Amino acid sequence: MEKDMVFMHEGLDRTAAEQPTWSSSSLGMEMQTNELNCAIEQVGSCFFNLNWDNSMDQSDRFKSALSSMVSSPAASNAGSALPASGDNVMIRELIGRLGNICNSGDISPQSFIKPNNNTHSSNTSYYTTPLNSPPKLSLSMMDSQIRGSLNVPGLGNQLPNHPSLAPFSTDPGFAERAARFSCFSSSRNRLGLTEAEFSQRLVPTMDSVKLSSHQSIKVTGSQANAPESNNNSQQERNFGFDKKISMLTRSSSPENAEFGDSKEESSVSEQIPGGALGNSSIKSQSHANARKRKSIPRGKAKETPSTAAAEAKVAAQNDESTAKRGKQDGAAANAKEKTEQNGNSKAANDGNQKPSNENSKPSEPPKDYIHVRARRGQATDSHSLAERVRREKISERMKFLQDLVPGCNKVIGKAVMLDEIINYVQSLQRQVEFLSMKLSSVNPRMDINMEALLSKDIFQSLGSLPHALSSMDSSTPAFPFRYQPQQGLPLNSGISNNIETQFSMNPLNAALHKTHGLQLPPIDGFTDASPQVASIWEDDLQSIVQMGFGQNQTQSYQGSKAVGQVKIEL
Amino acid sequence: MSPMNNPQDLNPSSLKSRFTTRFLRALTKINGQKPISSSSPREMFQRYRRIKVAADKSMAWSVRSRRTWSRAMLWKLRSRYSCRQASSSRRSSVRTSTIIKSRQAKTSHEKENKNTTTGQDEVGFVVQADKLRKLVPGGEAMDLCNLLGETAHYIKCLTTQVQVMRKIAHFYSL
Repeated sequence: MEKDMVFMHEGLDRTAAEQPTWSSSSLGMEMQTNELNCAIEQVGSCFFNLNWDNSMDQSDRFKSALSSMVSSPAASNAGSALPASGDNVMIRELIGRLGNICNSGDISPQSFIKPNNNTHSSNTSYYTTPLNSPPKLSLSMMDSQIRGSLNVPGLGNQLPNHPSLAPFSTDPGFAERAARFSCFSSSRNRLGLTEAEFSQRLVPTMDSVKLSSHQSIKVTGSQANAPESNNNSQQERNFGFDKKISMLTRSSSPENAEFGDSKEESSVSEQIPGGALGNSSIKSQSHANARKRKSIPRGKAKETPSTAAAEAKVAAQNDESTAKRGKQDGAAANAKEKTEQNGNSKAANDGNQKPSNENSKPSEPPKDYIHVRARRGQATDSHSLAERVRREKISERMKFLQDLVPGCNKVIGKAVMLDEIINYVQSLQRQVEFLSMKLSSVNPRMDINMEALLSKDIFQSLGSLPHALSSMDSSTPAFPFRYQPQQGLPLNSGISNNIETQFSMNPLNAALHKTHGLQLPPIDGFTDASPQVASIWEDDLQSIVQMGFGQNQTQSYQGSKAVGQVKIEL
Repeated sequence: MSPMNNPQDLNPSSLKSRFTTRFLRALTKINGQKPISSSSPREMFQRYRRIKVAADKSMAWSVRSRRTWSRAMLWKLRSRYSCRQASSSRRSSVRTSTIIKSRQAKTSHEKENKNTTTGQDEVGFVVQADKLRKLVPGGEAMDLCNLLGETAHYIKCLTTQVQVMRKIAHFYSL
């Protein structure tokens, strides 16, 4: 299978390094890395805390680890930051164990060991429920299988109707397990397990766990083909993920081929859980993916559940990402691609893929490379794939910038938006300069108390400040202080002349327009000249600019002259 | 820049609080050096420059080395500072300035190389990308993808900086 895939071997480390920063930036900066670190830490702890049998414990272990890992990013914003190296080590261990699970082929699901950390508030229930009843998973599998025209003995009764599936879908452990086993089954041929075996073996308990709506929907959607998935993006994810699974399980069964409407026909049992998990993953929490990717030995199957689980968690939390992804484009593949990408490269599987219905191209579970899958009808050579991934990254970042820069929403088109961004950055820089100028002029003739007060006051409401300052102001200090601006402002105006002539007029005006938020209270208690100066200085930035441009640059800094200038402007 | 989000500000490890404490420290140091009343225009200007540098430096320090732009900014500030320190005479300053220029030339060469490589991909935005590169510290040596990411973070930090400085100015002026 690998041969069929075109690997984009971007420097994985670099990507992985980028992703965390990028993701963090996109998701709220440092939080994300902390969350991920938490997750990984929990995974590790899960690893070491669980008792293990050989056979099923591995699977449970994996599941619990995954669930904890998945849940922790969701919940813990305060996460303890684990050193990245530690994370990688743990991830590698996880992956290694998955490999063992795959290789052993000895999977007997049993009681699911609860993950240690269920910090995720909304989803806590799910990961805590031990999976005790095997048949349930098989049920869900059955449903999908039945849909997909697979014949799986046994549980025909429970069809993937939404209500019946609800218990399944609500079982997070199930989802993980299903994903895992689906991977196994996909690579199943190596394991020698038939789908029937899987159905029998995979049995998460359907206890009370409540999946997040996302996951439940995904599961049901994928299995039951039901339009329960609220979001198109989720469906898209389903598709994408199913496609992913299908890639893996290509050889396993013909039904796997029907990805195009994975929702409709996730015939392959493996697909269901995969689909369920895959959808959730959207959010390219590339950290997890990237790291897992790094450490995963060439077992795609292992990767799928791990990424799926991790992704599931991430995706479950973020509606925004969903929305963003949904926005991507109509094609499931695009959304899927984008979300899962994290530098996931897609293998150019078109030729080898199951033929037909692949409308969407989910990103492959990562290996050591960045996997990209070529979309239907597109070029499949590595260059264009790399190109596409790059373009998508860039467009993703442009979207993020669009949110950041005010007034960019109406603009469509990268060039204009870039112009807007440039203007915004310029205006911000000018504001900083202007403010530092102002700060240099304002007299910091304050007591030590003022400093402490300042740092405290910065974080307090403005209302309290006048009180504090007035209390601080005794008559004598206040007096010179008040007079400072009078002396300082003319100088400032002179300086402003100097400074502002550095800029071209228009951009500066634009910047000034943008600094409308700068509200400077008028200074009280000044003589005639100073209020004018103060008011002009503080209230009307444009007048300052006009002053600067109306005069020669190097005006004398005499107060009278400056005042005269001010008066002219008045 | 409305009333602060108190919960966030009170977080001692947030970017805002880190920057604020650092910047205030620098400000007090600068203000302690020379009383403003006695400053000539030139000194005022110097003071302004110092404050600006302090603001940039504190912001870059708050971000540590997590970002390319912060690293670049810190490096630039340090090199400029060391050059200034090293140059006691005009001559040496000229020398050091030429050193700096050569370094800049090097980076600009890198940038050109980068441009040639990245220009192929993003044909439409090379001009704007160049402008952006000039604006964002350290942007010269980044490809468009990273550049956008750095720009996003840089914008965020700049807005924080402006907010805090505005508040400080407000408090000072009261």
